[in-house]
Amino acid sequence: MEDIVIDVQGLNFYYAGNIHALKNISLSIQANTVTAFIGPSGCGKTTFLRCLNRMHDLYPGNRYEGRIIIDGRNILEKDIDLIKLRSKIGMVFQKPTPFPMSIFENIAFGLRLMGIKNKGELSDRVEKALKDAALWDETKDRLHKSAYSLSGGQQQRLCIARAIAVKPEIILMDEPCSALDPIATGKIEDLITELKEDYTVIIVTHNMQQAARVSDYTAFFMMGELIEYDKTEKIFTNPSNKLTEDYITGRFG
Amino acid sequence: MTHYTKRRIENFLAIGLCTLSAAIGLFWLFFILIDVVVEGVGALNLSLFLEDPVPAGLEGGGLRNAFVGQLLLTVVAALLGVPVGLLGGTFLAEYARGTKIGRTISLLSDIMTSVPSIVIGTFAYALLVKPFGHFNGWAGSFALALIMIPIIIRTTEEMLKLVPWELREAALALGAPYYRVILSVVYRGAAPGILTGILLSIARVAGETAPLLFTSFNNTFFSVNMNEPVPSLTVTVFQYAMGPYESWHAQAWAASLVITFFILLVTLVGRFIIFRRYGKWKTL
Repeated sequence: MEDIVIDVQGLNFYYAGNIHALKNISLSIQANTVTAFIGPSGCGKTTFLRCLNRMHDLYPGNRYEGRIIIDGRNILEKDIDLIKLRSKIGMVFQKPTPFPMSIFENIAFGLRLMGIKNKGELSDRVEKALKDAALWDETKDRLHKSAYSLSGGQQQRLCIARAIAVKPEIILMDEPCSALDPIATGKIEDLITELKEDYTVIIVTHNMQQAARVSDYTAFFMMGELIEYDKTEKIFTNPSNKLTEDYITGRFG
Repeated sequence: MTHYTKRRIENFLAIGLCTLSAAIGLFWLFFILIDVVVEGVGALNLSLFLEDPVPAGLEGGGLRNAFVGQLLLTVVAALLGVPVGLLGGTFLAEYARGTKIGRTISLLSDIMTSVPSIVIGTFAYALLVKPFGHFNGWAGSFALALIMIPIIIRTTEEMLKLVPWELREAALALGAPYYRVILSVVYRGAAPGILTGILLSIARVAGETAPLLFTSFNNTFFSVNMNEPVPSLTVTVFQYAMGPYESWHAQAWAASLVITFFILLVTLVGRFIIFRRYGKWKTL
């Protein structure tokens, strides 16, 4: 068996008001793979993604049940250090979320949180992150300009650079290309493929071609349930479940 | 009359009424401004800023004491009011977002901004003048700070709410503690708006007379002792304008001109910051 990074066992999630959004999800995610979560809107794929770094804790009334084992610990336990957890798990959002500061400072922000203060080390790590995110050539002459001066696609790559600068183990991506044009999307997809050498990537996407292109494994969600989870090739060529087949052939959703 | 003509007439009437109303409002504004400029410019001279008042009835002298006192009262008021307003607004926008207590405090702040300033003056009087038996600068600054706080609370709250929620999530997802998210990300995004709110609140209190009348009162001598009555331009204008001497009236006009332009300047700077940040002359 390969290296399991995330092991989810019987996860149930309730939004405030006891809305049962995830129903008994169990799956394990391999290291250094790209896993795609697909499914119709409101099926729970983003909800599930946000369980993995406990983002739901920001809003009162949300409740988890079950276990998510990362590094041998159930991260749903009450005494887990969310700050530590989130520094191990990077996240990229649907809309680019550059901070209101310079390109350099955007990436240095996470590094400073880790306690890196040395200027030389900071600029080395910023450069490395920008190179890894394929953004260095476009930004090396304007590192101290506002991050808002970048295009949407560049901003999204900056957010990826920011996430990988702190060397997380896992990178969560919530529809990272939905606000981007096809060219920017292509660049991010290439990047995702490269990222899996060092990281485990989980990507939520509405675009099934994208899931087929970038991912090794695909999980299909519907109505808060995990319908099918398998190798991407299998899901797209020979799904075991009728619902999966209907969805990927575009018969609904 | 066709339907089309009717609509055109209605449109014309609506635009006409709006324009007329705006013109009426602006007419009085410019009437006052021009009056202040015309009457004030004549009495403007260096000794107004550099000399203290001479005994009543004599020619000459200036209002140096009132300029310095006004500045002192305003700065101390800002030192008291800005931190409270800033932290209060942060509480409402960040920690009490969407809660009943947050909405209640917001509403109360809105009510507070429209409380007549003389009421706040009497409140400060009861709290900080009566028990000590004499007018003092602290009471004046306290009253001004009370006027500033709800303004700063509300603008800070609104400006922080304009910072997209996703930015906070993004910063938290990097493993930042919430206070760091607020300090490094949210404040940075909202800084121009917050600063403008502070400047506008300073502009607002700089022109207040009523809350100072019962608190810091006035002082014909130069004094920076906050335990004693502190002179202020607004109260001086009030007293000089009511006084019997021509030279007092002239100085009151000049002082009015200076306050008006000070407030105008502060407001313009505030608006300019917003303009640079958002690219439009947005009002708060």
